Amino acid sequence: MNALEARSSEISHSDSLGSLAVRLDGVTKSYDSVVALKGLSLDVAEGEFITLLGPSGCGKTTTLRLIGGFERPNAGAVYVAAKDVTNEPPYRRPVNTVFQQYALFPHLSIYKNIAYGLRHARVPKAEIQQRVGQKMELMEIADLGDRKPNQLSGGQQQRVALARALVMEPRVLLLDEPLGALDYKLRKAMQSELKRVHREVGVTFIYVTHDQEEAMTMSDRIVVMNKGRIEQLGGPEEIYDNPATPFVAGFVGDTNLVNGVARDCRAGRATVDLGVMGVVEGICREEIKAGDQVCVSVRPEDVSVTPMPGSPITVRDAMLVGSSIHLTMLADDTTVTALVPRGSAAMPGTPVAVNLVGPRVCVYTKVQE
Amino acid sequence: MSRRRNPEVEIPELSRPITNPGLPQEGPVVEYFDDVADLGARRRFGGAMLGIPVIGWMAFFLAFPYVLLLLQSFWEVGLWSTLRIWNVQNYTAVLFGRSLAGNIYLPVMLRSIENGLMVTVLATFIGFPVAYLLAFKVRRHRMLVYTLVIVPLWASYLLRAYAWKVILGNHGLLGSVLDHIGLGNSSLSNILYSRTAIIITLTHIFTPFMILSIYSVLERVPASLISASKDLGVGRLGTFFKVVLPLSLPGVIAGATFTLGLAAGDFVAPLLVGGPGNLMIGNIIYSEFGATGDYPLGSAIAFILLVFVVVLVAISTLAESREQI
Repeated sequence: MNALEARSSEISHSDSLGSLAVRLDGVTKSYDSVVALKGLSLDVAEGEFITLLGPSGCGKTTTLRLIGGFERPNAGAVYVAAKDVTNEPPYRRPVNTVFQQYALFPHLSIYKNIAYGLRHARVPKAEIQQRVGQKMELMEIADLGDRKPNQLSGGQQQRVALARALVMEPRVLLLDEPLGALDYKLRKAMQSELKRVHREVGVTFIYVTHDQEEAMTMSDRIVVMNKGRIEQLGGPEEIYDNPATPFVAGFVGDTNLVNGVARDCRAGRATVDLGVMGVVEGICREEIKAGDQVCVSVRPEDVSVTPMPGSPITVRDAMLVGSSIHLTMLADDTTVTALVPRGSAAMPGTPVAVNLVGPRVCVYTKVQE
Repeated sequence: MSRRRNPEVEIPELSRPITNPGLPQEGPVVEYFDDVADLGARRRFGGAMLGIPVIGWMAFFLAFPYVLLLLQSFWEVGLWSTLRIWNVQNYTAVLFGRSLAGNIYLPVMLRSIENGLMVTVLATFIGFPVAYLLAFKVRRHRMLVYTLVIVPLWASYLLRAYAWKVILGNHGLLGSVLDHIGLGNSSLSNILYSRTAIIITLTHIFTPFMILSIYSVLERVPASLISASKDLGVGRLGTFFKVVLPLSLPGVIAGATFTLGLAAGDFVAPLLVGGPGNLMIGNIIYSEFGATGDYPLGSAIAFILLVFVVVLVAISTLAESREQI
């Protein structure tokens, strides 16, 4: 039983929608012949910062658009704040979106952009002024009110887009790769800014990104998606330390995926024979019998390397990465990478012995090609 | 050779003339050439060089004829030739009428502008929905619809005007259809040689331009803006009036400028489908230049028409930019 099944069975016996911000119930979405989402179920708690993480085409943006109301599912239901909104248009959902390219109205001033939704809702003028002012203060753009969007930098436009969505006081804020267009430094700054805003307003954030580092630093929980399905759902540490599938292990952080034969499996720990790389022990989530073909995931930092003359494993490449050295080794046909402290590493061409030991070694039944 | 250390010192150097670039290998004169600012200046000069053909073309084919026309409008016509006697009598004739004949020019001009405005309004109301559908709704057959819009432009202007003669004529297409459904004697069956016929023909001719002009702007409106509007709680209609329409205004104004200018000054449609009682100012200008040979008067009429149209366009452009603030 994998994590996805574990999660969905958990959903099915929690019947109260009370403290949930969003529930997706068996949502399927296909475009023409392409299936974007395959029976996806997900519960998002009130006030949570949850990230949908995955490669492009994994269905993360489709999921967001379904919650926002820009797409209708072919099957399944969408609930927002305990209400079935599956067939409601976007303008009748207590949800707001920060779009990928900000989507600010170019013909309106910054103030009017932020006030746009409130003005349409015929909120009294004084209240609009107060609420818009407050959100501009929150996003630190109080002095930009009279400018036009094209007079603002990318980071400033980002802040306006956030203020415009937050001023509507949504139950859920959807963010579609909001930092994708910013350069590295600004992105870092905006990440902590977003965390601050999340803390201050306490709204549920559903965040879409393909950047695993970004997902790690910001989220309470991460939903790793692949090919329209949830691969794993959990806290950042859990996802990194105990990836549910080889895909998650490979997508979130660097990893070595090595095939081997299981020797033994007892109480969630399996021993695996990896041939020239010796025998390793790791966490196993699935039923494994002795003699099964399995796949082991080992993080580069859990690989220790010692020179050993006559070993069949040789160092092929050594690259300096800040305070560590990134080694690439060849063992039979398999490439193994290791992150070792400076000075301890061997030169390319030296035969070495590797030792795969660490709390993050995981064993899977699915064998990698 | 690092030259950018102290720009204050360099400025006087920059203004110094290049006396002999072939001279000493050391010293500031040679260094002068790899100065970044100098390179920039040379680039700007190169840019100006590239602009010369365009500026020349505009000057020769646009500015020069207009200046000539303007000068000529202050001259006077003699027995066989134009006399270079400076006066404003052409303008007073057009605006206030000649003493004997009364004013024949101004009413025709105002009616022409009225026709132009009517055509512009009609073309906008027909063109906008087509452009909107083309930009946002038609997906699979976009190329087909787009081609249907521009196909009329492949036929000659005269041909299109003639086509309306065939359709609107006494025993034309419209008349025959009306006969068949028993409306043979209604006022609809005798449209040819009327102001209505002029307006129908001109609207048909200028609507494609209107569609293309609006479409080119709508096409660049990102779909995410419409999504954003709906996301902020505004429905379809509200989104149209608050986002799509304001963003399409530049296209509407460009199309309207084009249509108003050409429709108000048209002389072919009135000639073919307008009949003798519905001459437009274009016909009068044409006859001043062609038949009467009164170039100064023709020039003056043309200039007054130009001013009217420019003022109308300026007002709408101003109103639009006021809207944007």
